[in-house]
Amino acid sequence: MSDIAVRARLGLAEVHGRRLVIAVRLVAGAAIAAFALSTPGFASPLSINALLTAISFIGCVAVGMTFITITGNIMSLSLGATVSASALIFLASLSFGVPGALALAILFGVSVSAAQGMVVGHLRAHPILVSIAALSLLMGGAALATGGQRIYPAGTGLHIFKGRVAGIPVEALYFFATVALGQFILSWTRIGRVMVMVGSNRRAATAAGLRAASAVTTAYVIAGACSALAGVLLAARYGSGDMELGAGYDYSAIAAVLVGGTSIQGGAGSVMRTLIGVLVIAIIEVVLLLRGFSQQLQYLITGIIVLAVIMLHTISYGR
Amino acid sequence: MKKAAAVLLAPTARPFTIMAGAILVLALIDRGTGYLFSLGTVFSVMQLFATLGLVALGLGLSMLVREFDLSVAGIVGLAGCIAVMTGVANPWLGVLFGVAAGAASGLLQGLIMTRLQLSSVGVTLGGLLTLQGITYVLTGNKTVGYPNVAVALELNAPIAGLVSVRSACALAVFVFAALTMRYTHIGRDVIATGSDRRASRIAGLNTDRIIVAVFAASGACAALAGVLLGYGLGAASPVALADVLAPAAAAAIIGGVSVAGGSGSPMGIAAGVLTLCILRSGLSAIGVEPHVHDLVTGGILAVIAVLDAPDLTRRITAWRLDLTERWARAVAGSR
Repeated sequence: MSDIAVRARLGLAEVHGRRLVIAVRLVAGAAIAAFALSTPGFASPLSINALLTAISFIGCVAVGMTFITITGNIMSLSLGATVSASALIFLASLSFGVPGALALAILFGVSVSAAQGMVVGHLRAHPILVSIAALSLLMGGAALATGGQRIYPAGTGLHIFKGRVAGIPVEALYFFATVALGQFILSWTRIGRVMVMVGSNRRAATAAGLRAASAVTTAYVIAGACSALAGVLLAARYGSGDMELGAGYDYSAIAAVLVGGTSIQGGAGSVMRTLIGVLVIAIIEVVLLLRGFSQQLQYLITGIIVLAVIMLHTISYGR
Repeated sequence: MKKAAAVLLAPTARPFTIMAGAILVLALIDRGTGYLFSLGTVFSVMQLFATLGLVALGLGLSMLVREFDLSVAGIVGLAGCIAVMTGVANPWLGVLFGVAAGAASGLLQGLIMTRLQLSSVGVTLGGLLTLQGITYVLTGNKTVGYPNVAVALELNAPIAGLVSVRSACALAVFVFAALTMRYTHIGRDVIATGSDRRASRIAGLNTDRIIVAVFAASGACAALAGVLLGYGLGAASPVALADVLAPAAAAAIIGGVSVAGGSGSPMGIAAGVLTLCILRSGLSAIGVEPHVHDLVTGGILAVIAVLDAPDLTRRITAWRLDLTERWARAVAGSR
């Protein structure tokens, strides 16, 4: 089939596709809500609190990943390693006090990620390859620095990153603040708008005089900061850490971003959608757990949902 | 001198030049202590090659048609577990089921991509998560042992001190792929599809069919790697090989495959894989800490990923101009 014929067919299908997506979203949302509320024990404060804590770590990484995806750079496979490495830096530098350690961890996450953003944004290197290179460098560097040992806190004061405020887990408060800040940057600041435009059509954005490369670098900087925050929260939660701490967080994060409905092609999406994606995956997992399904089945169902969502959204947006 | 450099750095020769360079550097560090150039090192290089090579070949094939098959990492685990679980009585049956599962998953993903016009990264990402899920369900989230120890011993038994049956299998697949790509119209069609899909389609090539076939082949290669590893280790685990993607991508890129599509060859990929394996075995043979290997892999991958970027010199110039302009503006602003 020629390109034109394909486009024409997709153009016609687009209207039906958007309606289909809205319908599927409504039905799926209602089904998940009914499924969750009918599960005994789901609506208890204990389970809700556990859910909120669990989503906070992956949620922060997913907010960061959203920026990378929206600028058209698909995903980063190095965010999980960034989470772990930032956690180690935070724990090891606690002797400087909590604010100092926090600043160092965030600075580390930001610089590791910014370097990738510059290479991807300014030099147009392939984002996935760059992130794989960064993954190898982080793992190698961390192993060399720690000798493969667990890192224990070099100071005290971890308690401000855990526990509860007004009955809500502190981790969740940090996560919701990250979501709010992320959505603010994306919709209310100039650089946020530029990010979306660069993701939607980089050539047009450049032709319009926008600094595409800087927008991409900024997206990576935000992703690095979010991952470092997740690392700090995880470090405080577990009280010690190694490079396994954030393993797999990159895949979980991109799953949440895509399930939320941010386009893998870039240029469409939002942080709020990612919040919904994180919630949907977490609720399904909790419900499966409470209903006695094994953890293995949860992995499988998450995978199938991601695949289905990618197919559904592409039908609605053409390509 | 310039001519020699041009020959050595030509796209087809570059992988072999890098490999020779890696051997040279290791030899210089080794300085004739003899740990490096022993049959044992060759054998261990080839053992690593058996695992990594076929995954890199699968990923590299998908990159030849300008796609990116993330699902190879999931297929390695799934095929290994399937083979170990079904091949206890008859190992060939396990090979059959494992490779069939890999080919089928590649075929299915290829069909989804071409029929729905989806990007390969999205589909294979979903595929990777789904395949991992299937592997977890099949194994019950546990390492599965392979009681047929005779097969494991036989696969790892050295032939002439250099290769094992396992690495010989991997080499055979590489030779087959190289011959197919070089001497049949399939190879030409794959390169054409990767170079310019539109032009190929207008010239009458069924590019959709090529892409589906490439993904099926990629799945089969990764599956064979998983099966051989599962048998060779006498066990398969659903989590063991989550980090196979980084070295495989590094090997393919070092092997001269470009993410821009249309360039690269199976022999180049083999050279890329060998470079990584030589570095890994060589570094540990001369007593360097094992983690340095990750740093070297990452460093090489980063450099080549940058060099592989389109219009690199133009972009560097643009970046420099951008920086000078900002600097000038900042200076003017501060006055």
